[in-house]
Amino acid sequence: MEKTLVLGIGNSVLCDDGVGIRVATEVGKRISDPSVTIAEACQGGLFLLEAFLGYDHVVLIDAIQTKGGTPGQVYDLQPENFISALHLSSPHQVDFTTALELGKALGFPMPSSIDIVAVEAGDVTTFREKFTPEVEKAIPVAVEMALRKCPTHINHIRED
Amino acid sequence: MTKIMINPITRLEGHGKIAIFLDDDGEVSNAYLQIPELRGFEKFCEGRPAEDMPQIMQRICGVCPEAHHLAATKALDNLFKVEPTSTAKKLRELLYSAFFVTDHATHFYILAGPDFIMGPESPPAERNILGVIGKVGVEIGKKVIQTRQQNHWVIQTIGGRGIHPVFGLPGGVSKMLSEENRAKTEEIAAQGVEFARFSLKIFEDLVLKNKEYLDMVLSDTYTHRTYYMGLVDENNKVNFYDGKVRVVDPNGKEFTKYSPAEYLDNLSERVEPWTYLKFPYLKKVGWKGFIDGETSGIYRATPLSRLNASDGMATPLAQEEYEKMYAALGGKPVHHTLATHWARLIELLFAAERMLELSRDPEITGPNIRNIPTETPVEGIGIVEAPRGTLTHHYITDEKGLIKKCNLIVGTTNNYAAMSLTIKKAAQGIIHKGTEITEGLLNRIELAWRAYDPCMGCATHTLPGELPIEISVYDADGTLIDAVKRF
Repeated sequence: MEKTLVLGIGNSVLCDDGVGIRVATEVGKRISDPSVTIAEACQGGLFLLEAFLGYDHVVLIDAIQTKGGTPGQVYDLQPENFISALHLSSPHQVDFTTALELGKALGFPMPSSIDIVAVEAGDVTTFREKFTPEVEKAIPVAVEMALRKCPTHINHIRED
Repeated sequence: MTKIMINPITRLEGHGKIAIFLDDDGEVSNAYLQIPELRGFEKFCEGRPAEDMPQIMQRICGVCPEAHHLAATKALDNLFKVEPTSTAKKLRELLYSAFFVTDHATHFYILAGPDFIMGPESPPAERNILGVIGKVGVEIGKKVIQTRQQNHWVIQTIGGRGIHPVFGLPGGVSKMLSEENRAKTEEIAAQGVEFARFSLKIFEDLVLKNKEYLDMVLSDTYTHRTYYMGLVDENNKVNFYDGKVRVVDPNGKEFTKYSPAEYLDNLSERVEPWTYLKFPYLKKVGWKGFIDGETSGIYRATPLSRLNASDGMATPLAQEEYEKMYAALGGKPVHHTLATHWARLIELLFAAERMLELSRDPEITGPNIRNIPTETPVEGIGIVEAPRGTLTHHYITDEKGLIKKCNLIVGTTNNYAAMSLTIKKAAQGIIHKGTEITEGLLNRIELAWRAYDPCMGCATHTLPGELPIEISVYDADGTLIDAVKRF
């Protein structure tokens, strides 16, 4: 049986930064399938690589800030969209692309598909548990997109 | 599907901004490191039950939840005036040692290693973990990931969750350790000891035997004479989980040793108009600006600082390495910032050895894991050593235990003034009249900064997961003349 990981990343007490976790939680309410795991993480880099191991499909949900982006915009992305980020090691962690490259280089069984749902964040520097209105509105859109990313064999999706 | 390329900027203010100012002769007169502000934390905590703090505090920052969880838990012990049971203390320290193994191993191989293993001047595309495993072998990469996974298993097993542990309670912990899990933990700890020894050997072969690197470590560009801080046990040996905070002066002499309750008698915080973050300094020495030496209250709290501030390591193999390092670098204290990498590996060995000791302790699987608090709360302070420095949590509550005020001094904050000094000195050593600002220069400045393993509560996860850095150079008139952005 192929296994799927739906992973929300973020900080649930830092305003829009927590949107990935919230979307993953909502996705979890709509799926009841033993082959799907809903999880959360607070770090990227190697943590992601380790979280991915053992899964065939990964749907990653996270906040993002892009040049000229509009808060609440939902993006449908692939890891190669971040290829430009493959360079230095950072003072903190390796970046997403480097972590995936490392997994391949080490011969780990990497997922056959990695999809990313990213939500343009408005505020990621204020400690609060509520999202900005634009991001709050984007949650159902991101949930639907994440559900569409789940492999087609998962037929336990409940309609709201 | 149409392929789009995104250009993430990660956070509007979520990156380290380094501003370098030149004088009329084109030499560096000043350098500032600006750190992004995270707003409203105190307000966020006000009115919440103090018991929620171990859960909330560890969400401040995704990099070391375990440190915040335990500092908060210890603050609750203090707040509710309850002494944890012996087994509970040991379980907390066992989890914490496993956390140190993962954190220090990651820093060396992923973050610091590329500079030394590939060389500070190597092309950026090679100067990363991929280059490292290309050079030293895939097996080492697998070993790093395996060490992380095994120790994350220990954290999850004892702490109840893989990230954001839930086991710390005032007076103890929420779950005992089974014999089966104890035995597995012991096995992991033993492997951790071997891994740490192997890592020290790599450091010796690749750095200490390489004259160019050793010269860089010992160079004045990367050297500051400061005070040093670290937690010590009753024998003045390094301890990550508990003890008193000891500070030694630049000559290595004990300057102060205080218990958590006395931290405000010893530390003050300086506010500068150009940054949101405060600069802690030693109150009894005073703030003299961004200078090092005995007359300046700037101190450092890093792996090297902990070794400088102690009389040794509490485990035999780490003690041997401790003695070796000081013999090689000319005695205590060591002021070379880049020696922090060596100290970090000695701490990695200590953490693994301590894990092994605790996993073999007959009390570790005992059933007595909590003393129930009965006192009315007022005020509580908890201190642990985070990998990046001494971490202090301070809560004041009403009689119902609802938070009225909280104050934190986090690991990286201790080093903010020292990091600023380091950046300025590195810039002064590297930028001269007519120097072109290049990616390599950025790395030479960043290299000094990286030794502190700074954590800024930003870029911990947001895609693509790289902490962006911007270096701007201004001439004597304040005009921007050069800039490098890495995002």
